Amino acid sequence: MISVSKLLCGLDAEGDGLRYDAADKSSKSQIRDRKQRRPVVVWNCTKQCNLYCQHCYAAAETEPAPGELSTAEGKQLLDDLADYGAPVVLFSGGEPLAREDLVELVGYASDAGIRPVLSTNGTLLTEDRAERLREAGLQYVGVSVDGRRERNDEFRGQEGAFDRALEGIEASQNAGLKTGLRYTITKANAPDLEGIVDLLTDRGVDRFCFYHLDYGGRGADIQDVDLSREERREAVKRVCDMTREYHERGHEIETLLVGNYADAGYLVEYAREHVGEEQAERIEGYLRRNGGDPTGERVADVDYQGNVHMTQFWQGYSLGNVRDRPFGDIWEDESNPLLHALRNRSDHLTGKCAGCRYQDICRGGSRLRALSTGEGPFAPDPQCYLTDEEIGVDTAGGVDHGAAD
Amino acid sequence: MAPAEFDTTVDEPRGDVSREWELFVREATADPLHHVGSVSAPSVDVAREQATELFGWTAETLWLCPADETHRFAADGVALGDRGAETAAESTTDGSGGDAL
Repeated sequence: MISVSKLLCGLDAEGDGLRYDAADKSSKSQIRDRKQRRPVVVWNCTKQCNLYCQHCYAAAETEPAPGELSTAEGKQLLDDLADYGAPVVLFSGGEPLAREDLVELVGYASDAGIRPVLSTNGTLLTEDRAERLREAGLQYVGVSVDGRRERNDEFRGQEGAFDRALEGIEASQNAGLKTGLRYTITKANAPDLEGIVDLLTDRGVDRFCFYHLDYGGRGADIQDVDLSREERREAVKRVCDMTREYHERGHEIETLLVGNYADAGYLVEYAREHVGEEQAERIEGYLRRNGGDPTGERVADVDYQGNVHMTQFWQGYSLGNVRDRPFGDIWEDESNPLLHALRNRSDHLTGKCAGCRYQDICRGGSRLRALSTGEGPFAPDPQCYLTDEEIGVDTAGGVDHGAAD
Repeated sequence: MAPAEFDTTVDEPRGDVSREWELFVREATADPLHHVGSVSAPSVDVAREQATELFGWTAETLWLCPADETHRFAADGVALGDRGAETAAESTTDGSGGDAL
């Protein structure tokens, strides 16, 4: 997750607070340090969803799926996460509001010292439910909207989904919950980007997360509507331009990019061209500390059946199951050679990534998209849109940038 | 320490849309076969392809076992439902999606 507004406009990123505030409150320095290194855990607490979105990485279904963690198991999972020091749990799905015990679980997480946040399609978020979630300790609500009304409803498989999502956003705001937008950019909805931001800022929303399509779940089936590299570059530039324009008008919206760490290198290039060399260097330093693609390190996923994944998008491979042993034991088990290698990626990245000048702020981008090329888990992300000149590599010249080992 | 009884059965499914395959790899002939998680695939051939993509760079042996044919047993206090007896006793609902929709 890259905060465009923070990097280009100096705004404090809410995401930093969401991730680290719980750890900061600890009186023990070793706990603060430990929590800083622990992953944000996405918990797909159900596979059931009332919508059927074309890009759903969890391949959610309208009917309940077998083997969902029970309330008691969910609480034990939250205890395990708290023991391990996870700073944040993101309740996701399916549609997490399809679970009637969601308020109970959110409250349990909050009491255990984990910051609970919610990812929802918003259509089931009533005033009453939003209020009870806030009282339970919910810290943030991200509502998915993927384009203007007709486009969103077609994408989400249900007429009226757009209007109900806006009602959910309003309910969340009325309850006093910090509320933001989640928007997955594709060829179909890229033209709507600024219009949606304008519409929602008028309604008081000031946080906008733009996701690149990853190739997990049903997202793998719609690669034909994914942006080309040129279109992606243009879309990211528009996010940067729009963010600066809003801030210049005194409206300090927060904008974030998620799911393609070529964005990190692009932001440095953008800053160099539009903001200045000194700011570009500062941005690169910040991104270096941020660490690039978080797969297998700063983000983790537990699915509805308890399978642990290296990112929420990579549901087709599991490291183990929390029903068999605690999350922390699975996450720390680097006897798994793939997990170990992905955490030591610079020793393994191949192709243009091996010699890329932005490798330490990108770390190869999405490993899931890399796998889609058939070139293995250390190949370049096919959706890297930076030029050879920008990354300092001459791929056209046939230079061999093979793996370091 | 007394020998564990391994009398806790962990029998919940590991996948539903596609079959889940427990995956074991060996990196050198002198090494033990090592459990490295599972892959989701409709057939063993597709599972082998996926496992090869993920571990072919280091493994010399891959074993794939259908998760729904794998019987998992754990000692007391190890499995999720066993780790927090107090939590289970306090629970009020079964956590199913129920009638929220």
